[in-house]
Amino acid sequence: MSMTERLLFWIAIIVLIAATFGVKGKVDNLEKQLSQASQQQPANGGNQQ
Amino acid sequence: MNPKIERSLYIVVILVLAFVLFTLGKKEVELKKQIPITAEELYKKLSNPKIKVQIIDVRELTSSDEVGGYEDSRIPGALPFPNCDESKMTTENLKEALKRINPYVYTVIVSTDGNQEIFKKCASKFTNVQNLAGGMKAWQDAGLPDESGEYTPPKAGGGGGCL
Repeated sequence: MSMTERLLFWIAIIVLIAATFGVKGKVDNLEKQLSQASQQQPANGGNQQ
Repeated sequence: MNPKIERSLYIVVILVLAFVLFTLGKKEVELKKQIPITAEELYKKLSNPKIKVQIIDVRELTSSDEVGGYEDSRIPGALPFPNCDESKMTTENLKEALKRINPYVYTVIVSTDGNQEIFKKCASKFTNVQNLAGGMKAWQDAGLPDESGEYTPPKAGGGGGCL
């Protein structure tokens, strides 16, 4: 296996890891927003009743 | 190390990472569906030419209520799709609008008041979709620009949907 081939594999792995962390960050942020929204909804519902 | 084994190892690692990325991407889309977008956020996205947003207006064409129907007041560039029902797309212009609806583009559903039931019905037709929180009422209350009149397909070569 040549060094060029090895380097290309490593570039692909690093790009995928970076993309995974990026998407993971977005998912965490969305989960946080969703939990905040679901906490607000019962509170509002409680006030209405 | 045997080159064949080494190559196989790299490929396995890449496949595993690609699978994780795909799973996270799917989860992101599912989560987005559950979180409505606010009128101000949508306005910011529409103002950014790099972001492609498709707006689907599911209200009736005309309505006597305070918010009005699609032809009374709509978000610029919104496509009419009353009640997400293809059978209602009877006129030539509406048929043309139906042809322009792309289920694979990031889509925002606009109803009168952000009704969740109509959103759920429409969401099944799109892959990446969000509801407009508060619907057209919230857009009007925020004083954001709108347009009115019958839907007319954009002319060939012309842009459309810009604010």
